[in-house]
Amino acid sequence: MSELFIQVVIEGLLWGAIYALVAVGLSLIWGVMGILNLAHGDFLMLGMFGAYWLAILLGIDPLIGLLIVTPAMFILGLGIYKSLITRIVKAPRLTALLATFGLGIFLRNLAHFLWRADYRMLGDTLVGDRVITVSILGGTNFISVPKLLAAGGSLAATALLYWFIKRTKTGRALQATAMNRQSAALMGIDTERMYMLAYSLGIACVGVAGTLLTNFFIIFPEVGIMFVLFALVAVTIGGFGSIHGALIGGLIIGLIESVGGFVGIPALKQALVFAVFVIVVVLRPRGLFGWAD
Amino acid sequence: MKLLEVKGLTKKFAGLVANDSLDLEIDQGEIVGLIGPNGSGKTTFFNCICGVYPVTKGSVRFEGREITNFPAHKICKGGIARTFQLVNTLMNMTALENVMVGAFCRTTNTNRAREIAEELLEFSGLPEKKDILGSDLTIADKKRLEVARALATKPRLLLLDEAMAGLNPTEQKEAVELIRRIQREGITLLVVEHVMQVIMPLCERLVVLDAGKKIAADVPERIANDERVIKAYLGERYYAKRATLRSE
Amino acid sequence: MGRLKPLMVRQPRIFWRKNYIFALAFALLLALPFIFTAHFQHHVMIKVLMFTFLGCAWNIIGGYTGQVALGHAAFFGIGAYTSSLCYIWFGLNPWFGMFLGGILAVAVSAVINYPCFRLHGRYFAIATLALGMIIRLLFTNWRLVGGALGVRLPLLPESLWNFQFHTTKLPYYYIALVLCALIFAILYKIERSKLGFYLRAIKESEEAARSLGIDVAKYKLVAMSISVFFTAMAGTLYAQYILYIDPISLMPLMTSILICVVPVLGGAGTLWGPALGAPILLIAIEYSRAWLGGGGRGIDYMIVGAIMVAIIFRPGGLTSFFQGPRFRQWWRRIRG
Repeated sequence: MSELFIQVVIEGLLWGAIYALVAVGLSLIWGVMGILNLAHGDFLMLGMFGAYWLAILLGIDPLIGLLIVTPAMFILGLGIYKSLITRIVKAPRLTALLATFGLGIFLRNLAHFLWRADYRMLGDTLVGDRVITVSILGGTNFISVPKLLAAGGSLAATALLYWFIKRTKTGRALQATAMNRQSAALMGIDTERMYMLAYSLGIACVGVAGTLLTNFFIIFPEVGIMFVLFALVAVTIGGFGSIHGALIGGLIIGLIESVGGFVGIPALKQALVFAVFVIVVVLRPRGLFGWAD
Repeated sequence: MKLLEVKGLTKKFAGLVANDSLDLEIDQGEIVGLIGPNGSGKTTFFNCICGVYPVTKGSVRFEGREITNFPAHKICKGGIARTFQLVNTLMNMTALENVMVGAFCRTTNTNRAREIAEELLEFSGLPEKKDILGSDLTIADKKRLEVARALATKPRLLLLDEAMAGLNPTEQKEAVELIRRIQREGITLLVVEHVMQVIMPLCERLVVLDAGKKIAADVPERIANDERVIKAYLGERYYAKRATLRSE
Repeated sequence: MGRLKPLMVRQPRIFWRKNYIFALAFALLLALPFIFTAHFQHHVMIKVLMFTFLGCAWNIIGGYTGQVALGHAAFFGIGAYTSSLCYIWFGLNPWFGMFLGGILAVAVSAVINYPCFRLHGRYFAIATLALGMIIRLLFTNWRLVGGALGVRLPLLPESLWNFQFHTTKLPYYYIALVLCALIFAILYKIERSKLGFYLRAIKESEEAARSLGIDVAKYKLVAMSISVFFTAMAGTLYAQYILYIDPISLMPLMTSILICVVPVLGGAGTLWGPALGAPILLIAIEYSRAWLGGGGRGIDYMIVGAIMVAIIFRPGGLTSFFQGPRFRQWWRRIRG
């Protein structure tokens, strides 16, 4: 029993780390720009398809593909920012919410149109489906290597982003912009560039997460919805705009999903996550560690 | 029986004491002024009476009835109306519609609400602005509209929060006339104000707050010469200077 | 009923002008199925009317009151399930099932949405979205109501009483039209009543609304209840039209989104908004599906997504084009 339970916790933490990276991007965009990027999951989907096609068409393994997909997603983020987000930021809040949602719906169905609704999976990758055996508290537990890699990569990317925001000059400028755009502009910060940077970094985050996911997860146009909703829950629990909050939120979500599915009805584990979300948002709308708003 | 009776009202925000056991009594038909420097807790006091913030300690009675911590909408139904320091106009509704919302507090009939609203727009000097959207009104008109809207709820006590801030002298004079007209209608007023020249002749009684405490309550003439009030408003040094000037 | 006489809030002339247009539009809608006679065209028209109705229902909470709810598909589903299952289990006539579904939707919404009324703007939107997802997941896993497989309604001889028609779609069209006329009349009344003024005041400023004696939570609950009641009614209409219901086609996120986008595209919080938004969206969706067939899948919602993005250029929606001073001038000129 305890062996199984530890397995469930491990599984939850691994998934939690991946949710965290998606959530961190979402939180960064919210914190700096004050918009909720509901298209986030669909960028994740694009990242997954990017890595998938690199592997299928050019034979580039996702691990190397990471180096191509991440900058490509960053550039895609720049392009989307320049063409659409500049306008969405200025729109009334709820119109902006619907617009980012609309962007997501557009991308999702574009993928549908281009690549069909089929479930796809990468066959032989460098990591493959290796499993390592560990023993915790006397029991034997298994950790899937591709999942561990994805979780580790997510944590590394989150740490890198955290370091960037807290320790570098540009990162501090981002923080200042998040706190108060007008004041930041008066301090000589090019806030327009900070917005662009925040959005592109957020999209690059899901590029990383998407690529690492292709090692073991199915790829299809609708894949992003659950991820963005879970990330939203993680961000709400952690506090909108907070990076470490998003990380902790992501881990909590992973645990709730995995342990909830183990203890309760597996099919309702997602419902459980949403229920936790509604309770948190009603009791504490600012989350646990919010920076702004 | 006093119209409004506040006893020992205390409001704390996470350790900060915004109102420190304040007492206030208002008689039917009075105009009472509430003054004090910025951050002295005037608006907090208003919000506590009106049920916007829950009170930490103390009691508020209106017409002998206990109304402490009643929700804001019940306070309004009970006969206390208020205006906001930063105008809170319903921007996408016309001036007439703004006042009608207030009038619906006492009637469910749309035609009746419109009649009340038109009367009050006339009363507060905005009859020709009735079809203009709230967002298109000037700041002076917005402030008047707020007063008209509050009056439409048929209050027995009206709380005005800085109704004259940001108005030019002519507009201020008009606002003073409006307040006197309201008093003549038999409505009691509690007025928070910054502009001293205006409030001095207007009020029968002044209450002075400083750092959440009541430091004086008297007729305007005596308040103007009260040491503590001058200190609170102008600072210790100025008071000392004035004292030395006077002694010379 | 002295209050039934026309309430002329702004100008009496506008009232008559609007009514004149209303009568003309209604006559045209009555004749429409005889102008476009193909089966598919009837299907599209029924869908348009159904979404006009749903958009109007959403408008009460989302448009007038400004509380953007993104979980209405759940209530649409509750309506469809209630009437269908009540027929299958108890033999209850679907017309009564329609009202029962509405009442059940109101009860569910009161329990789950009431705590959300404290939330503002985006938080409310996301919370309702999550609640909608929960309800869908529950239905998908609830064996008693058919789970993911759903429920097939037994075929009955066609009649108005049975709420089933097999040889022609026309009766569904007219039922939908009557429902739309009903909700238009109700919204027209609400706009001019205390309720309408209060809902608009809440949208503008909750703080000001409270200071004017409005019990904000109560009125949000009233608006939400009216809204989900009608949404559930439309669910019954859908169930009787398709005769097969399942959580995946009944309560997807896209349905919630469409219910919200129809009025927002037309103009949130306006009487005519949903009637403008629904034809544009539904005709685009249905025809792109029909023309491009299975291979064109995705184009339908790509259009919806693009329209949702395009709304940022005109946040007031399509009706805002008819409210500017320039349009009024032009209108006055053509009227002589």
